[in-house]
Amino acid sequence: MLGVVDACFLIDWSRYRRRDLLASLFEAILMHEEVLAQLRSPSAVDFASCLLVRGVLRLYPWSTAEEELYIQLRDEVALDPRIPSLERPDLLCLVIARRTGAVLLTENLGILRVVQFHPAYSRVTAWTALEVLEQMVYRGLIEVGSVEEFLNIVSEYCEDAKHVFSSRRMKDVTGRVRAWLGR
Amino acid sequence: MAGKVRPPPELVREWEREDEEFRELRRRSADWKYIEGLEPRARLALLAYIETGDRYLAAKLAGLTLGEFDELRVKAGVVCVT
Repeated sequence: MLGVVDACFLIDWSRYRRRDLLASLFEAILMHEEVLAQLRSPSAVDFASCLLVRGVLRLYPWSTAEEELYIQLRDEVALDPRIPSLERPDLLCLVIARRTGAVLLTENLGILRVVQFHPAYSRVTAWTALEVLEQMVYRGLIEVGSVEEFLNIVSEYCEDAKHVFSSRRMKDVTGRVRAWLGR
Repeated sequence: MAGKVRPPPELVREWEREDEEFRELRRRSADWKYIEGLEPRARLALLAYIETGDRYLAAKLAGLTLGEFDELRVKAGVVCVT
C-alpha cells in the first residue's frame, strides 16, 4: 500500500509509542520536500529521518503539471473561511494523493473537509491516525480481542500525541471494528 | 482563476456542530495557568488555536514553524482534534 503524509500527521504520529508500525502498514510513504521542511520537533525529525534512511519515506518528484493542479485547487477552496488550515504543503499532499492513488495521511481538518465535498478530490482516501490504527488491527499489526481493547490502543495514541478524535469519527471506526471482530 | 467549489449547506451545518465540539475539547484540555504565564505572542497564538483549531494560523501568530508551535501546544496541554 502506498501513502502520502502531511506534517500534521507526522508530527503527531512521531510521538506515538508504536510509531514504528507505520512502516509495516505501508510499502512506501511519499512526502513533498516542503512538508519535510516544516518538521522541527526532535521526535518528528528523528522519525522522518529513520523512515527516509530505511527507504519507507520517499521524497516525491513534484512536477509542473502538479503545480497547476495545486493552483487550481487553491483557487477553488483556500479562501473559504469554513475550511481551516489550507496551507500550501498540505494541499500539495492532497494533489499527490489524487495523482498517485496513495492513501493520504493527514490530521489537517481543512484537508479532511475538502475530501468530503470536492468533486475532483472526493475519491481520495484520507486517514487520520484513528483509521491507521483501525487498519493495523485488520492487518494483524495490532492484536485486539474486543472493542474495549481497541479503545485502549486509541487511548495510548491520544495520550502520547495529545490528540483526540471527534465523536462521529470514533463512532464510525468503533462500529467497523466491532463488525470486523464479530465476523 | 478557477471558480469556487462550495460545500453543500448540510455539510457546512455538520462542520459548525463539529467546530463547537472541537473547540470545547481544546478549551477543557488546556493548561490555562501555563498559558497565562507565557509571553503575549505565544499566549495569543495558543488562544487563537484553541478557538479555531488552525495550527498554521497559530504558528504564524507565534512566529514559529508548524513543528515548533506544536511543541508549544503540547506543553500547554491543548489537544488536537480531528
